[in-house]
Amino acid sequence: MRLAFVVQRYGASIAGGAEYHCRLVAERLARRARVEVITTCASDYLTWANCEPEGLSELNGVAVRRFAVERPRDAVRFAELTARLFGEPARTEPGRVDVERARRAAPADAERWLEEQGPFAPGLVRHLAASRRDHDAFVFFSYRYYPTCRGLPAVAERALLVPTAEDDGAYHLPLYPPLFRAPRAIVFNSVEEREMLRRAVGPSLAGGDVVGVGSEVPARMDAEGFRRRHGIDGPFLLYVGRVDLNKGCPQLFELFLRYRRETGSRLRLVLLGQSVLPIPNDAGLVPLGFKPDQEKWDALSASLAFVMPSRFESLSIATLEAWWAERPVLVNAKCDVLRGQCKRSNAGLYYASYEEFREALALLESNADLRERMGRKGRAYYEANYAGNVIETKYLALLEPLRAASARLTA
Amino acid sequence: MPAFEIGSKDVDVEEIMKAIRKRIDEKKQRLYTDQEIQEIAERRLDAVLDAHDFNSDLIADFRAQPERWNFAFEAETLYRSSRGFVGAVLRGLRGALRPVQKLFWNPNPMISALSRQSELNRYYVHLLHNLALELTRLNLEVQDLKNRNLQLQGRVELLARREKTLESMVVFRGEDESGAAPEGR
Repeated sequence: MRLAFVVQRYGASIAGGAEYHCRLVAERLARRARVEVITTCASDYLTWANCEPEGLSELNGVAVRRFAVERPRDAVRFAELTARLFGEPARTEPGRVDVERARRAAPADAERWLEEQGPFAPGLVRHLAASRRDHDAFVFFSYRYYPTCRGLPAVAERALLVPTAEDDGAYHLPLYPPLFRAPRAIVFNSVEEREMLRRAVGPSLAGGDVVGVGSEVPARMDAEGFRRRHGIDGPFLLYVGRVDLNKGCPQLFELFLRYRRETGSRLRLVLLGQSVLPIPNDAGLVPLGFKPDQEKWDALSASLAFVMPSRFESLSIATLEAWWAERPVLVNAKCDVLRGQCKRSNAGLYYASYEEFREALALLESNADLRERMGRKGRAYYEANYAGNVIETKYLALLEPLRAASARLTA
Repeated sequence: MPAFEIGSKDVDVEEIMKAIRKRIDEKKQRLYTDQEIQEIAERRLDAVLDAHDFNSDLIADFRAQPERWNFAFEAETLYRSSRGFVGAVLRGLRGALRPVQKLFWNPNPMISALSRQSELNRYYVHLLHNLALELTRLNLEVQDLKNRNLQLQGRVELLARREKTLESMVVFRGEDESGAAPEGR
């Protein structure tokens, strides 16, 4: 089988959820098919500046074909267009979308917004159209960006879409519902994501399956080594991901520091991931920056519990990884997906207010037996739904009809 | 305060969340229950009073054994005796000689004053007990207000930072915007 994966950025050090998701699936399926990743030269999602060379290269046994971004994002212009399409609050607060305004957006404005959001790489789109017969299937990651929105219609009859759609309201723009109707199938990350898109698009939403993604799990985890390397003793709560406003990190800092003040707890919050906002200078917060995968697994095994404060998640691979490491999680209840995952797995608690955060965290901190039981539930949930072989089987089942159709066309 | 118990051996997250919300609701109705305040008040006394100088079980003792700190005083108390049969004889003699005794002094004002003092002692203990509870309640409320104040201060600082970011976006428009990008995703 010849597969092409299309994604806005691609690289070993790119921590974005959809990009990491794409890499995990591409590397997994590369064992069963000839895989080529089609992406841009950008690595920074704020500017889309070209950082990698154009053309073919290889990463972890997967061929990667890169195309230059022809115009970087104009941040001010993009903010203005965002405010015009989604309402003024959306300019600074992700998810504060005026849904009716977004639905009524003028097509020309929506087009301009899409191009400004980027990464604007028309060369990539032209290549997709030209190489449509070179691949049995095209797997597109992230519905919202230019490469998917403009590239998928060019190869719709061979396309599989992994929307990684978050409940941030962007999918209400009129340019998106046709995109969700176009592919042969959609790979949803969760039942909540499927329901959300069905409400927005209606019954004509393309069919598909809830799949998600599993991580490359480590052979061993070294909790003591992690503590020694970073001089961390005592219990800590772990956050893994970009330290960003979009991820709810400022709110997490506020809640966590208040928890420490009020309860006198000595629990600390360790942050693993690149930071794009200032982190308060407090003994309770331990920012370690972006670290390699093994360091993340070691941190998980050393942690007391994992926290995910983001409101906008279509899956949260980091949360699944915490479950594999048998750690209970504490998540933002305002994210339907995370709350649903916690309920289905019985491996995590959720909070919608400071009071709930305090009670849930105090419970996890004080009850080792509960932590252990939740951790075991999390591992069982992961193995049943997100283990590598489960994901691979589901993807192959969705790709097989495309391969068969391609074979018929070739014949 | 009672510990938060998760009864079942199997984990049910929805049940745990229900229990958490119930506990929060209870706390919201009143910061602490009367029983919790009483427990804290007693613990506070224990913590602030030196055991060598003062009985740390003050309130419990007051409530359990009033005879240890107060006297029961009635009109007949002056003439009683605790010596069994001899005491009963003595009490009879004192009663018989009461008119003669009144020729030398008038015991009624003293009986009246001591009776009143006994009542006052009981009243003061009751007051002391309630004051300790109220003081504890006020301490907890002050603590809560301090925490809220810190939270509000944090919010104000966050808003100030956000305001600064927005201002810098306007000022540096057309220049290098890499640090001021209000990105979509």
